[in-house]
Amino acid sequence: MTEVIATDAKSEPAPSLKSGLLTGIDSIMPVATVGLMIFFAVNHSSFLTKDNLLLIALQSAPLMVVAVGAALLLMSGYIDLSIGSVMAVSGVCAGLTFNSAGVTAGVMVGLGVGLAVGLLNGVLIGYFKLSPIIVTLGILAAGRGLAQVLSPDALYGFPSAVLEFGNARVLGVPTLVWIAVFVVALGALVMTLLPAGRHVVAVGVNSRAAYLSGIPVRRLVLSLYALVGTLSALGGLMVVARLDSAPSGTLGAGFEISVLTAVLLGGIPYSGGKGHLWRVVVGVWLMGILTNGITLMNVSSQLSQVLTGAVLVLAAALEGVRFWIHRSSR
Amino acid sequence: MPMSGMTIHGLSKSYGNNVVLRGVDLQIRAGRIHALLGPNGAGKSTLLGCLSGAVRPDAGTITVNGLTHTGFTPQSALKAGTAIIYQHLELVSDLSAVENIFLGSEQRTPFGTVRKAAQRRIASELLDRVGADFDPSRPLTSLTMGQKQVVEIAKALHHRPEVLILDEPTAALSSRETDILLGLITRLAHESGLAIVYVTHLLREVTAVADEVSVLRDGSVEWTRPTADLGIETLIEGITGAPVARAATATSENRPVQHDRPPLLELADFRASGAPGVSVRIGAGEIVGVFGLLGSGRTNLVEALAGARPSEGGFRLAGSDLRLSSPGIARRSGIALVPSDRKSQSLFSSLSAQENVLMPHYRRLSRGWRRPRVEQHVFDSVAGRMSLHPMSAGLAGDRFSGGNAQKLVMGRWLMDGSGVTLLLLDEPTQGVDVGARAELHRMIREFARESERAVIFVSSDVEELNALADRVVVLAESRIVGIVPGDTAERELMVLAQPAPSSGPSEVRSEGNTAA
Repeated sequence: MTEVIATDAKSEPAPSLKSGLLTGIDSIMPVATVGLMIFFAVNHSSFLTKDNLLLIALQSAPLMVVAVGAALLLMSGYIDLSIGSVMAVSGVCAGLTFNSAGVTAGVMVGLGVGLAVGLLNGVLIGYFKLSPIIVTLGILAAGRGLAQVLSPDALYGFPSAVLEFGNARVLGVPTLVWIAVFVVALGALVMTLLPAGRHVVAVGVNSRAAYLSGIPVRRLVLSLYALVGTLSALGGLMVVARLDSAPSGTLGAGFEISVLTAVLLGGIPYSGGKGHLWRVVVGVWLMGILTNGITLMNVSSQLSQVLTGAVLVLAAALEGVRFWIHRSSR
Repeated sequence: MPMSGMTIHGLSKSYGNNVVLRGVDLQIRAGRIHALLGPNGAGKSTLLGCLSGAVRPDAGTITVNGLTHTGFTPQSALKAGTAIIYQHLELVSDLSAVENIFLGSEQRTPFGTVRKAAQRRIASELLDRVGADFDPSRPLTSLTMGQKQVVEIAKALHHRPEVLILDEPTAALSSRETDILLGLITRLAHESGLAIVYVTHLLREVTAVADEVSVLRDGSVEWTRPTADLGIETLIEGITGAPVARAATATSENRPVQHDRPPLLELADFRASGAPGVSVRIGAGEIVGVFGLLGSGRTNLVEALAGARPSEGGFRLAGSDLRLSSPGIARRSGIALVPSDRKSQSLFSSLSAQENVLMPHYRRLSRGWRRPRVEQHVFDSVAGRMSLHPMSAGLAGDRFSGGNAQKLVMGRWLMDGSGVTLLLLDEPTQGVDVGARAELHRMIREFARESERAVIFVSSDVEELNALADRVVVLAESRIVGIVPGDTAERELMVLAQPAPSSGPSEVRSEGNTAA
């Protein structure tokens, strides 16, 4: 045995700098949100009014509802691209039922269709191990087509209760906003107070380890897709109630991109495993004020689409930087 | 005369406080096959890592082809003239042999397209040279393990190496394929003049092909001698690291096992995904070690016992026959597995220590709602009993040292009320420091002694088997070739574990005895 190499003290790779940088990255989004609000408030006097803020909340409500489900799904490392078409199929099925069997039956049918599509996604992905992206992309295309087959033209002329519900307020706050608040609370409850919340994260971090420690991974994945399907349907119904119409071609079109943007802005990495629901709420709110502020400032809707896309790329870039910091200190 | 072959001088590497290589000196000569032996943990992997560019040495030099280097990257290693072939082949199975050989070094036309004809010609020459008997344009999926190994060697030869390093290359091969491979290696050394480093645990391969033998122990080369001068005893000592004098001749009688009670676990012709049947009875309170060489089916067996791998045959735990179709079902029957690869199979690296320990138990500890106080209490008591360090419930799993991370994943099942009656451990203390290892051993013992429980653990570390096991089941080629007392010496285990397809295990043992 030759000399012993001088042993350096316990090699701790400067955790303070790393965690400092990560905290910095994590706070970019909330800071940007507040900054944007100040910017719009300064530039437009009607931005920071109670009515306008409630309007933003109302416009964001369907996105909020779907984003909660998508956030849970992404935390477990899975993705659903079929959201927009599920909204369309559910909305159209509900619309067809409104006129024949009444509002309650319509809501049930709409939610039931969403649940069914979610279960289909979940079985194909969780049990048959098919690729989440391919399966849900297929459902995205097929669902839109199905909606248009069921009703080539936009459905309208629903019972008055539909629009009344869409415009109703409780305690001065739109009912649809209450629904979003309720769904967020439900999501937060699952994540913090139920064992299933921990299982979601476990599957996202290391699905093999979760499987080997006896967590029913397949059933969990199935449940999450069923949840996203149902919440997509709920989001679709909320849009229908606001529009008082179910246009099969445009209902929910591109919605999955907004949802994904909001969830990624919320700091849930594409690879799953971590994230907080409150950040997703901030992400949705950021997108809401962006759309609203841009409209107030008379920017064309095409340009606002470009901006939304840019925000998605920005969110991905932030995630990239976070990943890079995490890696570089290894 | 130019220096041919490879000279390693004073190569050192440490990870934090853990010194792995302490100045390795080694001379590998051209045209010779140099067997590198050593027990697990001697630093072989790190040494090979330094030679292949996967690990950067702290000090020392490697001289190849007359040029002296202080370290490699994977690319510069190839350029310098060393090529390595790992146990697990690094080939792309959807590509053909030709495409694999040229992967990353494609021959291109001025337009950037691949010169297919030229590649095919060169690949065919290389494959002819290594005696390949298959169409080089077939995708690798249609080849046998042995044929893939040959492709890997052809790929290495394409870089015109001076030194070819093989890391347990026959682990996954049949005996016929092994013979072919050994013949090929001999030709490459003796006829083509390559310097070959051959890492193995298998005695018969050393005696069959090696010209020289070096033994690595505790991070430095203990001795280097010509194979012809070595007796079997010396070789076994080299492989196991245990001095022969210490190796007591083990009797094949078992330590008395209580027969007054029915066994806790009874395997009757239990077959793990296609492996031959295994039959054994394990009593309550017993700790049974499983020993076997790489490729002996030891991990397959414990994974099948944990429901993580399909199995057939009789499995009777605490009086009830079970059919294990998933880890979830195994868990509910009281069976838990701690896999060997912590990072990819058991640790939740970004989750907190508390989440890591409690993950399988959240449902059990809840009353519909989770109860944070109860969870906190349970974690504190487990962490306290394991002397977790640092004692921090919120720290992420990957911030703990290897030993403490292992405490987290083992604490999951060792804790009170985990409901585990049969605990399966695959290399429970691999890469764990001495202190944590002693604590884990203590906890495993306490666990087994309590009421109706048993532990089965796989270990390639004989010290651990001796310290922990009541009995050791020795596996070779997925068959039980012996059940011996827990304190059986390494030499005995090593001899038993040698796969001997043409002759029975008993003959290998007599061969060892006559040479002594």
